[in-house]
Amino acid sequence: MKLSANLKSKLFSTFLLLCFGSSTVLADTPFEALLNDEANGADWLSYSGGYKSQRFSPLSQINTANVDQLKVMWAYQMQPTGINGAALQETTPLVAGDVMYITESPSSVTALDTHTGRMLWHFVPDISNDVLNIGFPRINRGVALLDDKVYVATLDARLFALDARTGAVRWETAVADNSVGFSLTLAPLALDGKIVVGVSGAEAGVRGYIDAYDSETGERLWRTFTVPAPGEPGSETWQGDDWQTGGGSTWLTGSYDPDLDLLYWTTGNPAPDWNGDLRPGDNLFTCAVLALDPDTGEMKWFFQYTPHDTHDWDANQIPVLVDGEFEGRQRKLLALANRNAFYYLLDRETGEYLLGEEYSFQTWSEGIDDNGRPIVIPNTEPMREGNLVWPSLQGATNWFSPSYNPQTEQFFVPNRRMGAIYFKSDVEYEPGMPFLGGGEQPLDGDDASGAILALDVMTGEQQWEFELQTPPWSGVMATAGGLVFGASNEGNFFALDAEDGGPLWFFNSGAHIRTNPMGFSVDGNQRVAIIGGQTLFVFGLE
Amino acid sequence: MLLKQTLSRCSAFIVAGFLLLSTGPVSAQNLENGEQLFQTLCARCHGMLGEGSEGPSLTRPNLVHAPDDAALVSLIVGGIPGTGMPGSRQLRGQDGPDVAAYVRSLGVLPPEDMPGDPVAGAEVYRAVGNCSSCHILNGEGLGIGPELSKVGQRRNAAYLRRSVTSPEADQPRLVDRFRGSLQAFLTVRIVSEYGIYEGMRINEDAFTVQMRDMAGEIVSFKKSDLISYQKVQGHSLMPGYNSVLDEKQIDNVVSYLMSLN
Repeated sequence: MKLSANLKSKLFSTFLLLCFGSSTVLADTPFEALLNDEANGADWLSYSGGYKSQRFSPLSQINTANVDQLKVMWAYQMQPTGINGAALQETTPLVAGDVMYITESPSSVTALDTHTGRMLWHFVPDISNDVLNIGFPRINRGVALLDDKVYVATLDARLFALDARTGAVRWETAVADNSVGFSLTLAPLALDGKIVVGVSGAEAGVRGYIDAYDSETGERLWRTFTVPAPGEPGSETWQGDDWQTGGGSTWLTGSYDPDLDLLYWTTGNPAPDWNGDLRPGDNLFTCAVLALDPDTGEMKWFFQYTPHDTHDWDANQIPVLVDGEFEGRQRKLLALANRNAFYYLLDRETGEYLLGEEYSFQTWSEGIDDNGRPIVIPNTEPMREGNLVWPSLQGATNWFSPSYNPQTEQFFVPNRRMGAIYFKSDVEYEPGMPFLGGGEQPLDGDDASGAILALDVMTGEQQWEFELQTPPWSGVMATAGGLVFGASNEGNFFALDAEDGGPLWFFNSGAHIRTNPMGFSVDGNQRVAIIGGQTLFVFGLE
Repeated sequence: MLLKQTLSRCSAFIVAGFLLLSTGPVSAQNLENGEQLFQTLCARCHGMLGEGSEGPSLTRPNLVHAPDDAALVSLIVGGIPGTGMPGSRQLRGQDGPDVAAYVRSLGVLPPEDMPGDPVAGAEVYRAVGNCSSCHILNGEGLGIGPELSKVGQRRNAAYLRRSVTSPEADQPRLVDRFRGSLQAFLTVRIVSEYGIYEGMRINEDAFTVQMRDMAGEIVSFKKSDLISYQKVQGHSLMPGYNSVLDEKQIDNVVSYLMSLN
């Protein structure tokens, strides 16, 4: 029925096209379309461009030979909201048919005509200026699409389902309590009939969880906590009541393997961040990736990247699903370039640790042992008088997306090269207040730099690097045109040659760039999009 | 070292007993509370000592967005619209004023005695020093080095003395909200097919660099066009004035610069 509704919509649009000469096709997004998102270069239906989260565009109209002829096709200036401190834009646009859906900070949604950039509708949730956002800016990373609805998770911890044609609210539900520090900033993930979200708030000492909601009704289907209660598996890694304020937030969109029917979701730091004395133990399941049954939320396996983290090295990076030959055997893999400066490969069927290689300068670990556990160098924890450690709390990479080109088996990752002096201090938990236990002073400016790295996906070995002036806050997108699109704090949107990292084209957007590139097509013509400052730019050749 | 700076700053206020702000007297306890809150809420962007990183430096008496203490409390709690400054609305009761008091304390330098005569220093600046050949002051001069009209607000006597005698000793930073603190007057040497250029970097990204040459002219390059590009750390284009000025003249010109506030 859903498919036929989609077909009907397209037929009606074709009718309009015949009658009036032009039309904007507002396509529904059935689950089947999401399953095909990776291969469908015309649309970009989910945050990472498909359930494997490869952020790869299979289009090649724009390629190494002609990328220097890219031009701005249209731009869209975001709307002022009146909410203070909501000036950073981290959304990844989604495109279904001829409509683009973006979020604007803190939690608005806008639908745009991909032909012209003209606004079709704009939804502004009633968010108070007093909303808490403890430990992160007032941002949003995008929407999810499923069937005839658009889903947005809001800074004040609600989930909205909007009508894709009008932006009208179909339902809303409270995911968490913002008054104790929970927020939602991530793009939700749409599965078959359900919407999955995670929470922010470890800097306020929340106990993290992942939720799934019925996509039609908003009813909660399951909730999986990332910090176990006493008696539950993993609870032996906590002492006393520490688990109640243990952190482990789930603030970045996960990945999904429809064949294994496993949902992969990453978790953040234990709380308090920098004073590990207040929470002895490995602090499971923080700084980890979890494999969940999407129907029940049951944890099938986990892998903890950074046990007992004291540097705020959340594992909230994109888990990229890769199929290929590892050490002579065809395997289903999960690749993740971690904030802690190591690149990991896991077997995504079992969670078995396969590889952990340093991809960025770091001073805290001698390497990863055979079980995947870091060999921690003594005296690298935060100290009361300060302790200089690489990488900084913002990590060797962060939430912004890596990209994987399955045609060349290259893994591209934006890399932050910065150390920090980490401090430890006393802290007592108070609901709705920061629960940090220290701080950091980054060695920034000319002491720091950034890069786009190309790694061999199976070994983590660096193939090339393209140096950036400062540690970046934006992701990358590889394309079948042999390109890697990236962006910088200085406002450059650029294209590199995937083969050797050579710069082929750049554009000065005029403001910092703090989001991920994405790609789609309009009437068969390839487009790439990026947001610089408050402006969305869409580029093409014709 | 960082801790030492923090402690010495705190002890200065404990010795002083209290600090009087327009919002009322501030005790050492208020400052301690403000410092703790600052480190958890503000230091991530403004630095543990308020020296700036992603957010601007706060170690100066005049804050652009906070002309008075009430405005400072208001922006700490409410944020600044149109910027990345989100505000901290979870602050309750006295917490906001305490953070404001701590922020103010970062920029309050103990009053210093002038080592010489500022009026005589103005003449040194104009004549022997010929400082206006590189600096703009109250609208006069050539803008190669930093603009000096209100330099007394930003720099203390020791800093100004070093700037005159050993200008390479300090590398001031230009705080950029999204790029961290970049060196403000970095010397660069550039060789292109059109010639050799030495000057001060104005701006830079991964693909281009803009510099001001020794004639005060702005030159912009594409990095891909350059034969070589060198950043010269620990160097200043300004000569040291030890050999040009005697001690008394240095005292006087430092006093003149201190008076520019």
